Amino acid sequence: MSLRGFSTASARREFALLRTRPWDLAMISWVPLLAVFLIWWIFSAGLPERLPIGVLDQDHSALSRQLVRFLDATPGLRVAQQYADEGEMQRALTSGAVDAAVQVPRDLSRDVKQGRVGQIVLLHNAQLGTHSSLIQRDVRTAVATVSAGVELAVRNKRGESMKAARVSMDPVKASMVALFNTSTDYEQFLGAALIPALLHILAMTAGAWAVGRELRDRSLGGWLGAAPRWPEALAALAGKLALPFASLSAVGIAAMLWITAGRGWHPVGSVGWTLFALVVFVALSIALGAFVSSLTRSLRTALSATGFITAPAFAFGGVGFPLVAMPMLAQLWASLLPYTHYIRVQMEQLQMGAPVAYSAATPLWMVVGTAVLLAVSATLLMRAAAAPDTWGGR
Amino acid sequence: MSEPTQGFTAAWRDTALAVLRDKGVLLIMLLAPIIYGFFYPWPYGTQAVTRVPVAVVDQDHSGLSRQIARFAMASPRLDVRMVTSDVHEAQQALWRGEIEGYALLPQDLKRNVLRGTPAVVTIEGNGAYALLNKAVLYGFSEAVGTVSAGVEIRKLQAGGQGAVQAARSRSPLNTQLVPLFNPSEGYGSYVVPAVALLILQQTLLMGAAMLAGTWAEARRLRAGMGAWLGRLGALSGFGVLSGVFYFGWVFFLQDYPRGGNPFGALVLLLFYVPAICVLGLLLGCWFRDRERALQVLLFTALPMAFLSGFSWPVEALPAPLQALRWLFPSTAGIQASLRLNQMGAPLHDVLPYLGALVAMVVAGLLVLWIAATPRKAERV
Repeated sequence: MSLRGFSTASARREFALLRTRPWDLAMISWVPLLAVFLIWWIFSAGLPERLPIGVLDQDHSALSRQLVRFLDATPGLRVAQQYADEGEMQRALTSGAVDAAVQVPRDLSRDVKQGRVGQIVLLHNAQLGTHSSLIQRDVRTAVATVSAGVELAVRNKRGESMKAARVSMDPVKASMVALFNTSTDYEQFLGAALIPALLHILAMTAGAWAVGRELRDRSLGGWLGAAPRWPEALAALAGKLALPFASLSAVGIAAMLWITAGRGWHPVGSVGWTLFALVVFVALSIALGAFVSSLTRSLRTALSATGFITAPAFAFGGVGFPLVAMPMLAQLWASLLPYTHYIRVQMEQLQMGAPVAYSAATPLWMVVGTAVLLAVSATLLMRAAAAPDTWGGR
Repeated sequence: MSEPTQGFTAAWRDTALAVLRDKGVLLIMLLAPIIYGFFYPWPYGTQAVTRVPVAVVDQDHSGLSRQIARFAMASPRLDVRMVTSDVHEAQQALWRGEIEGYALLPQDLKRNVLRGTPAVVTIEGNGAYALLNKAVLYGFSEAVGTVSAGVEIRKLQAGGQGAVQAARSRSPLNTQLVPLFNPSEGYGSYVVPAVALLILQQTLLMGAAMLAGTWAEARRLRAGMGAWLGRLGALSGFGVLSGVFYFGWVFFLQDYPRGGNPFGALVLLLFYVPAICVLGLLLGCWFRDRERALQVLLFTALPMAFLSGFSWPVEALPAPLQALRWLFPSTAGIQASLRLNQMGAPLHDVLPYLGALVAMVVAGLLVLWIAATPRKAERV
């Protein structure tokens, strides 16, 4: 048989197996599709709005009422509760009924009238990271707006013109630009980063499963023959993995096209190069799965290894917590994980709008990595085929 | 079936022995939680993002612009790696990953300030990475704000106000931020206590489902309700041990906020662990395959984490997901654990979550009773 014959026969065999095993088929088709849809759906709102906060107004003045109105009018906030005393506020915070509480102290408006600085206190639940940072930003902005209004009115009364007052209040303004201006949209920031992380887990699982199952079911001989030569084993391996590769790549491409063009997001960088990188990343993940199964000759051990490598990959990837802030050894581990490198390419292209040249090397290295993994796996499978007594490990 | 149906105690003992003797189940149920307990918090060891590499693009070359640059260099949030007058150079350094943001001090900055016309410093942070971006924006805006305040106070003083009065008449209202429960606002302290519950769930789910799948392959799955309760009891025993290890040892060793209500946390484990184990047994009955549990469950931790409401606000979830998320024990478990362990809430504040877990156990046992007890035909 020609080498292409080995590939085709192996692919046909895999296809026939998949048709009789609904779970196996599901795990490379509709389950991944549903999973990436779920991730997108979770973040589809883009930015959380109307997070519940409480207010303890001890001042009961026009100023404090104005502040509460401003807080409630901020899209990110919702004044859900008003408290009569500090005990009530404390209980609401501890029970998690609200994510934060704003305390307007007694004598606030008197202090401000007398020219002293009035302190608004924001107690926020720092155990909820995203909630508390969004609330801090919104409350600060609302207080600063009210504060600027008061200062402007005072200066106006003193006879400064509105325009002169505005400039002299802030002689040097800081204009903050989150470059590429995407950090506020979690659909693009987290959703887009989690979809490849999910596909990474599913693809390595698929690779480990496709090869590991032949070992577990003692059907390696039926797949590779009794004594395959190395090119034959490689061709058969490529044929077997072609189906999960095609299916998962299609899911990945569909998901990334949907979250970009489908949602009216047109990144400055190259979507095409990102998709190429994603497809290569899926191939590498599948090859890595096939490699751990060929190495351990145990489906269960290979799946455990898959979990160890891929499940925490997002945490080590630098998306949530930056790489530069990790301990040295953790950075080293992160740099060994393929997800870390893939997501950098995606960030450069989709978020940072970098020229393709900056992201060119990584996917090409991943092609090399995939080839090496497949080649080594073929050698390991050749050896495994020659030792039927080692099959069937659970 | 000729074998007599096993009783509660015998099933408990057999299951406990099965967990200890089955290398695969032992690894995933008892060893994996210990390994992940140290491995997962590892990247967050430093907790805070400080000394983020940045550049200052100074096109003004004045005393004022140099003063802003000096303040930026002194900021603990920033590490000024480069001072240049070329924006493109900074942009390229950003793409290469050498810096994560820069401040652009434009030409005529000082002249505009002296003239009393608006002067704007543009701060550009790498918006692709939220925490880095925040450090860059805050670090630079503090530096600019300090310099700006100095200029304003000098102007007010020149206008005849005393220094103290001048300082006061700026921004009449201030916001004082008080972080509760995680006073240092550490990233690990925010993520790990919640994810710990998820690790507990995933390892227990996989272990229980793997064991039930193995029984199914050996045609030893069906059993009377007494035996199912025994199996559940044995698995839950191991699960509670892992849970105590996390709540006690891992939180303590890594110095996470903890110990708000240790008695309540223990009560939570007595509800959380059986809910997971019964779900795991059900999954095993469904899969009827030893390794399937790993294959199907490995990817599920990711969506479950973001549905549980600790990092992504529930308010932002589409309505159907707000309901669906209660199908996983982790949702109620994480919410209740944060309240008890980190926020120190009294037990009655988490009663709804405990109720959800009890409902899961009852529903799970009901399904086991319908689907996995000996059929009448077999009893005869």
